[in-house]
Amino acid sequence: MIYLQIAANGLVLGGLYACIAVGFSLVWGVLNVINILHGSFIVLGSYVALFAYSYLGIHPFISTVIAGAVLYALGYALQAGIINRVVMAPVLITLTLTFGLDLILNNAMLAAFTADYQAVNLAHPLGVVQLGPVFLPGDRLAAMVLALLLTMLLYRLLRDSRIGRAIVAVRMDRDAAALMGVEVPRINAITFAAGAFMAGAAGALLSIIFPISPLNGPLFLGKAFVVCVLGGLGSVPGAMLGGLVLGVVESFSSYWFGPEHAVTLSFALLLVLLFVRPSGLMGRRGYE
Amino acid sequence: MTSSPQKLSVSSLQAGYGDVQVLWDISLDVGTGELVCIIGSNGAGKTTLMRCLSGLLKPRAGSIVVDGRTMTAATPADFVRAGIAQVPEGRRLFSAMSVRDNLLMGAYLRMDKGAIAAELERVYEMFPVLAERRRQDAGTLSGGEQQMCAIGRGLMAAPSLLLIDELSLGLAPRAVELLTESLRTVNKSGVAILLVEQDVINALELADRAYVIDRGRVVKSGPAMALVNDPAIREAYMGLS
Repeated sequence: MIYLQIAANGLVLGGLYACIAVGFSLVWGVLNVINILHGSFIVLGSYVALFAYSYLGIHPFISTVIAGAVLYALGYALQAGIINRVVMAPVLITLTLTFGLDLILNNAMLAAFTADYQAVNLAHPLGVVQLGPVFLPGDRLAAMVLALLLTMLLYRLLRDSRIGRAIVAVRMDRDAAALMGVEVPRINAITFAAGAFMAGAAGALLSIIFPISPLNGPLFLGKAFVVCVLGGLGSVPGAMLGGLVLGVVESFSSYWFGPEHAVTLSFALLLVLLFVRPSGLMGRRGYE
Repeated sequence: MTSSPQKLSVSSLQAGYGDVQVLWDISLDVGTGELVCIIGSNGAGKTTLMRCLSGLLKPRAGSIVVDGRTMTAATPADFVRAGIAQVPEGRRLFSAMSVRDNLLMGAYLRMDKGAIAAELERVYEMFPVLAERRRQDAGTLSGGEQQMCAIGRGLMAAPSLLLIDELSLGLAPRAVELLTESLRTVNKSGVAILLVEQDVINALELADRAYVIDRGRVVKSGPAMALVNDPAIREAYMGLS
C-alpha cells in the first residue's frame, strides 16, 4: 500500500510541476524563446502570495489570480518593450537576453527580500485528507487541483478563444497569421504574459508548500525544462503529462534511493528519453 | 478630377529584399467588383507584388491606394480592415488546426459573432466538402480542398477585394475547374478579385482585364479577351503561335 501513497504524493507534486512548466512550454513553443526568467517569475509569484497573506490576510489560493495578474503585467511589459525587438533572432540571442533580465530580476529580489527562506504559515490549514489507503495533506491536494484546473483553463482558452486561436496560428505560421490581420507583436506579448501568469499562479500555489527564496528560481527553471522535454514542446497536454510523470518518478526514486538522488534520477530519465524519443512523450516528430 | 471608382490603385511601385530589387515599376488598378488577373513567368515579381499588397513587405517607392486612401506604410491588419484579404501562394493553412478554426482565423478582425456564424454557413454552402470535414485538421485535406479552405478563409474576412496568389498551382484539373467556378460566383456577389496565375489560358478566360508582368515591370495590359489573341502573349505564355 505504500506504493499507492508514493504514487499519490508523486501525482500531487506532478500537478504542480505541470503548472510550473506549462507557461514555459507555451513561450518556448510559440515564440521560440527559452525564457530563463521563468524561475524568477515563479518566485516572484510566491512573494506576492506571501505578502498578500501576511499583510492583507488574503489566502494564497486567492492570490493565484493576483500573483498571476501582477506577473501578466510584468510579462507583457517585458515582451512588448524589450524582447519583441529580438524575438525573430536565433534562439541563443533571446536566451541570452532573458538570462540577463533574469540576473536583474533575481538580484532585485535578493536586494528587496533577502535570500532568507520565508514561508507562508497558514492559520487554518485544511488538515489531512484520507482517500482509501492514501493520506494527503489537504492544502497540497487543493493546490494540485487548482494547478490542474488552471492548466486546463489555459488549454481551453488556447483552443476556443479568438486570441487563443491567434496564438496557435502565430506558432504555426507567423506570416499567414499576419495576413489574417493578427498583430503578431501584440500576440507575442500576450503569449509571454500568459506564460508569466501561469508562473505567478504556480508560485502562489507553491508558496504554501515550499520555502520561498530567490535562490529557488533556478531550481524551478530546471523542473520546467525537464517537464517540457519529457512532455514535448509547446503542447499543454504534453506539459501536463510531463509534469505528472516527473512528479511520480521523483517520488518513487526518493523512496527507493533517497531524496538526495531524486533530482539526479529525473535528469537521467531525461537523458534516456532524449535518446529514445527526442520529440517528447506527446510531442510531434520533426516539429521545431 | 472626379472621384475614382477604383478599389485598388497601384502606381510606380518599387520593392525588393536587401540588395535585390524585384519590382521596378508596377502600376495597376482594380475597379470595384472587377476580376483582374496578373500573368507572368516565374520570378517576374508576382509574389513580391502580393506581399506589398498585403502589407507584409513595405514598398521602396511608389504608392498603394485603397478606396482613395494611401496604404503604402500600412500593416497587414490595416489591409484586412480596408477590405483586402489574401489567399497566399501555397495556401499557408494552419495545418494542425481544424478546418473550422482555419476559417474562423479568417474572421479574426471581425467582432460580430452572428455575422461570423452566417459567413461560416455561406462558406460551407459554397464548399460543402469543408462542412463535412470541419473538424478535421486542415493538413489532412487534399490539395484542392485545401485551396477551398484557403479561399473560404479569405472570404471569412468579408473582403471587397480578394487577392489570390496561384489558384491552380499543383492542383488536379477537376479541382481547378471547381475553384474557377466558385471564383465566378464570388465575383458575381460583388467581391473584386485580383488573381495571380501561371495557368495563363485559364486566367485570361476568367478575368475581365489582365496585366502582364515581366522582370518587375508591367509590360502589357488590357482586356483579357484582347490579350488572349495577342500573338506575343500566345507565344510567350501559352506556347501557342
